Amino acid sequence: MQIDEKLISRLENLARLKLSSEERHKISGDLNEILKMVGKLEELDTEDVEPLVYINEEVNSLRIDEVKHQLSNEKALKNAPDKDDQHFKVPKVINL
Amino acid sequence: MSIYDQYETVIGLEIHVQLATKSKAFCSDDTTFGASPNTHVSAISLGHPGTLPRLNKKQIEYAVKLGLALGSEISLKSYFDRKNYFYTDLPKGYQITQDRLPICIGGELEVRLKDGNKKIRIHHIHMEEDAGKSIHDQDPKNTLVDLNRAGVPLLEIVSEPDLRSAEEVDAFMTGMRQLVRYLEVSDGNMQEGSMRCDVNVSVRKKGDTTLGQRCEIKNLNSMRYARKAIEFETSRQIDLIESGGKVAQETLNFNPSTGKTAPIRDKENAHDYRYFPEPDLPPVIISKAFISELEKAQPPHPLALFNQFQKKYKLSEYDANLLTEEKLTALFFIDLAQHSKNYKAISNLIINKINPYLSESNTGLNDFPISKKHLSEFIQLIDENKVSNSMAYQRLFPEMLKNGEKAPLDLAEKLNLIQSSDSDFLEQIVDEVLAKNPDKVATYKKGKKGLIGFFMGEVMRASKGKADPKKTNGLLAKKLNV
Repeated sequence: MQIDEKLISRLENLARLKLSSEERHKISGDLNEILKMVGKLEELDTEDVEPLVYINEEVNSLRIDEVKHQLSNEKALKNAPDKDDQHFKVPKVINL
Repeated sequence: MSIYDQYETVIGLEIHVQLATKSKAFCSDDTTFGASPNTHVSAISLGHPGTLPRLNKKQIEYAVKLGLALGSEISLKSYFDRKNYFYTDLPKGYQITQDRLPICIGGELEVRLKDGNKKIRIHHIHMEEDAGKSIHDQDPKNTLVDLNRAGVPLLEIVSEPDLRSAEEVDAFMTGMRQLVRYLEVSDGNMQEGSMRCDVNVSVRKKGDTTLGQRCEIKNLNSMRYARKAIEFETSRQIDLIESGGKVAQETLNFNPSTGKTAPIRDKENAHDYRYFPEPDLPPVIISKAFISELEKAQPPHPLALFNQFQKKYKLSEYDANLLTEEKLTALFFIDLAQHSKNYKAISNLIINKINPYLSESNTGLNDFPISKKHLSEFIQLIDENKVSNSMAYQRLFPEMLKNGEKAPLDLAEKLNLIQSSDSDFLEQIVDEVLAKNPDKVATYKKGKKGLIGFFMGEVMRASKGKADPKKTNGLLAKKLNV
């Protein structure tokens, strides 16, 4: 995969981030490094190896359907950068 | 033939059903609708770092129940995946869903249409979680976010493109709503968003076998809107093709105030979900024993009951429909039908008396003041002609509503409603009535047979409703036709 301007712009859009040209340059380098590292793994023959998704053999970790461990409204909003007395506030998403 | 008649509409649905669990899909927050904002939340539903989701056992149970009712194949092993996108009401930045291997594959729902039944195939059903709610119109500068709904368990039912009109979509949604309510896996309440659908619409010339380019109308939460949206979209696509244009694959919103569909702005429409396996949730393994246990506990299928009510109980399609709309009503009928063969009387009792009472008092069958035993006795009084039909409904039934604990026979006696079939008593009244109306008798004898109704009425009045109509009719006929 080639890290180019077009790809950076697409990632920027998907991540809802606005990068400065300096940041774009830096991240492009970082991403290339990451790809190079992952590319190293491709040297291995994994033809007959099932992809590993779960690192242990556990299945069915299930919960009983009951209500508990809720947070109060005050605690829930405590770390929010912007809020009113009940809601999280974010920049306007849609202009109605 | 109009140009529109040369086309057919092809529709597939994605129905989101909110499950009637007490707690959320992957954490223990309350799911009750209508709580004050951001009170049904926890570190998990808020998407705080370092938290781990854990699956609600009921979500699997409900998914399997629905799958069994639709005849789906139940996946003995299924997985969760992450669907990644950024939006304000999705705090984790991804929705937990099933992409690789959903819990139910295939199946079908048979729906009732004006010109016969039709089987609509199901592609699959998968488990996922709901997002929170963004409120755009309360604050001039900001969007407000309420995360009470974030993480509420959903089933997404994806149909094959087997639907051909707004009517069929209506029938399918109605059938699905009835089914989830019968199964008690969801309340199916569209106003509260417990059931909503995305509609994929395309058009093609009749006879074509390839599908046209489709558009997806998102988030329709009322049958009326779904109908309007499909009708508008169908004409829009046909007009576009007929004027030489091409339908572009788009995601649309339906605007109820204009009645039109319009593309959702690009900002929300970055369709690159980068699905990948959800490593925080281990695979779901379902045993055959678990499935067969649920299978044994399945309620009757609404359509099976609808058919049974017409065949076994000889009820009209109209009555059968009303009686099987809700499972509780249908089972109530079946219970009563075990004590009396007068199915039409039971049907009338439920449709004309019990249902109106329940809707007026805004209560359910479980709180109905008269026991099934007393209702059976009530029907029996009518069956055995002890109380006339009209007196039973007009006088006895209201009294029973007030005195639920008293036996209908005792109440009927107290109200002096027990019908007399004593021939002497009846004959005396009949004779009196005929004697009082010599002119009417003469007219009858000249051939105006309709007057029999008048005499019946007079006898009923004189007997205060206690005369047995059949016997009265017989006696009148005998005496008038000498």
